[in-house]
Amino acid sequence: MTNTNSILLSVEDLSTHFSTEDGLARAVQGVSFRIQKCKTFALVGESGCGKSVTALSIMRLVPDPPGKIVSGKIMLEGKNLLELSERQMRRVRGNQIAMIFQEPMTSLNPVFTVGNQIAEAIKLHQKKSSEQAWADTVKILDGVGIGDAERRVYEYPHQMSGGMRQRVMIAMAVSCQPDLIIADEPTTALDVTIQAQILDLLDELQRQNDMSIILITHDLGVVAERADDVAVMYASRIAEMAEAKALFENPLHPYTWGLLKSVPHLGFEGKRLQTIPGTVPDPLHFPAGCKFHPRCPVGCNDKRCQAVEPELREVQTGRHVACWYAPGYETQQERNEYESKYRQ
Amino acid sequence: MNSEQIKDKSAPEGRSLWQDGLRRLRKRKLAIACFVVVLIYFGLAGFIYIAEFFNWKVGPVNWSQEVGEQYQPPSRNNVFGTDIFGQSVWRKTLYGAKISITVALCASFISIFIGVPLGAIAGYFRGFVDEIIVWLYSTLSSVPYILLILAFAVVLRDKTLFGYKLTGITSVYLAIGLTSWVGICRLIRGEIIKHKERDYVLAAKSYGCSRARIIFRHLIPNVFHIVIIDFSLRFVDFIHAEVILSFLGLGEATRPSWGAMINDARIELSRGVWWQMMAATLAIFFISLALNIFGDALRDCLDPKLKTEQR
Repeated sequence: MTNTNSILLSVEDLSTHFSTEDGLARAVQGVSFRIQKCKTFALVGESGCGKSVTALSIMRLVPDPPGKIVSGKIMLEGKNLLELSERQMRRVRGNQIAMIFQEPMTSLNPVFTVGNQIAEAIKLHQKKSSEQAWADTVKILDGVGIGDAERRVYEYPHQMSGGMRQRVMIAMAVSCQPDLIIADEPTTALDVTIQAQILDLLDELQRQNDMSIILITHDLGVVAERADDVAVMYASRIAEMAEAKALFENPLHPYTWGLLKSVPHLGFEGKRLQTIPGTVPDPLHFPAGCKFHPRCPVGCNDKRCQAVEPELREVQTGRHVACWYAPGYETQQERNEYESKYRQ
Repeated sequence: MNSEQIKDKSAPEGRSLWQDGLRRLRKRKLAIACFVVVLIYFGLAGFIYIAEFFNWKVGPVNWSQEVGEQYQPPSRNNVFGTDIFGQSVWRKTLYGAKISITVALCASFISIFIGVPLGAIAGYFRGFVDEIIVWLYSTLSSVPYILLILAFAVVLRDKTLFGYKLTGITSVYLAIGLTSWVGICRLIRGEIIKHKERDYVLAAKSYGCSRARIIFRHLIPNVFHIVIIDFSLRFVDFIHAEVILSFLGLGEATRPSWGAMINDARIELSRGVWWQMMAATLAIFFISLALNIFGDALRDCLDPKLKTEQR
């Protein structure tokens, strides 16, 4: 994660807040990560932890009002996306960063044929004649595994199955050869048998087009198989970030342990599935200190965990974690302070 | 990837929501009958335009010709009798269709061209823009409708607009069109508010569509069935408004229209001359009924929320 030449997108200290009637909801707080070229970066976490808002913030599609990106930098090839005008941003969307949504059933406009929609995306970004865009559309549709593409381009979304529509969404996303695809739970709404096909397709397209992928998911199995780097989000912050292999072999954050332990395995029969006690905190009323402490098996009674929120630190090369108890996290000074102030 | 590559030639051809709705509509015999009635009225109006253009001397165009004594009751020669000048009431009634349909059609287009974009913009942008537009139409709709049309008609009458003199029916349909966009504007606004939260709008943004493109290319086609339905149901109101304006003497003065005929008949009725009144009323009755039934059926067929197959 260190070679700067291979970095495609870097998010630095991103914060996105929503002002609601009940107060300010800090949906994303000080999130930083880097995405390497041609690699898959997985963003994992429970519902409502800020994964999708992070993705929408990168696209600058957070509904405003009520949402607002309050601070941070999103650097894509030397330019800060947060400083671009709306017009410049439109050129980035679809062209450099494209997005695939969770619900293929509703993400396609029902009154257009699928061909029309893909061709529209092409014509928005590339100077091509209608015939050329249409020919490309057929080719792309064929490329995402839709058989008989020449006829399928004239079909309406309601004539297709969920898996087919997700393929169309993917076709739309790759139509302008973007550098980065943000896939926001691309398989959640699909049949299990289709899920693997869709992910295989994404892998294949990634290799063909040299794209990076941000894969947002809560399926740890998928992450273990497909991701190169993983960030685990909890309550609007990144709790732990590492290469996928390292993270699965040796999780450092108690929340990551909990997540990994609550995945069912084969041969697990007869035993109760482990869960993390408690629920995700409401973004309007985050607990003080470490946001995970009320549910944490390690720090629930620790005075410091209750009072001071740990920030994300690099504890080993390429391993970032935000937990006072992670090995190598504390500095000596903090250790001394802890002994004198919090320990009774 | 392989399972879906099987070529399936028996799959149905691509069918849009429109085609789907029309297929449903075709099953409703009564609606189709009403549509034919509406078409006859429109055909008549169109025919009179063509006949006037080429100067064909056919029945309705020769409405001013004297066909007999004044106030002849309906007979074999004159189906609806004659009026005070001995002109055929039947011909006048047919000619009235041209005036009514012209007015209603022009007024509809004016109100759609004002109401739909305003409603869409208000619904999409909300906030300040929305407040101004809502304020505008609330104010307009708080004035009693007939009074408002009357005021507009009086103000517009015999004025010149862009070098074009607003005579007779021009001022009538301008008055109706400029006052009646509120309903469609409100409907479209509500519908756009609903639709703009849909995923396909977010998806369209995510591949770089501008706001104007999203409103006019993605959202309006999705709510356009409402415009069609509203058009078919409101068309009747526009015909009635024309009748009322003519009845009150603000409409077409030199050519016969249904409203003017009813206005004439007001005095005649006391003399027992009922046929002019009857002819105009029947003409209005049939087109109102046909349009209402057809509009209802159209709504049932085009509104996806009300998808019901009728046997």
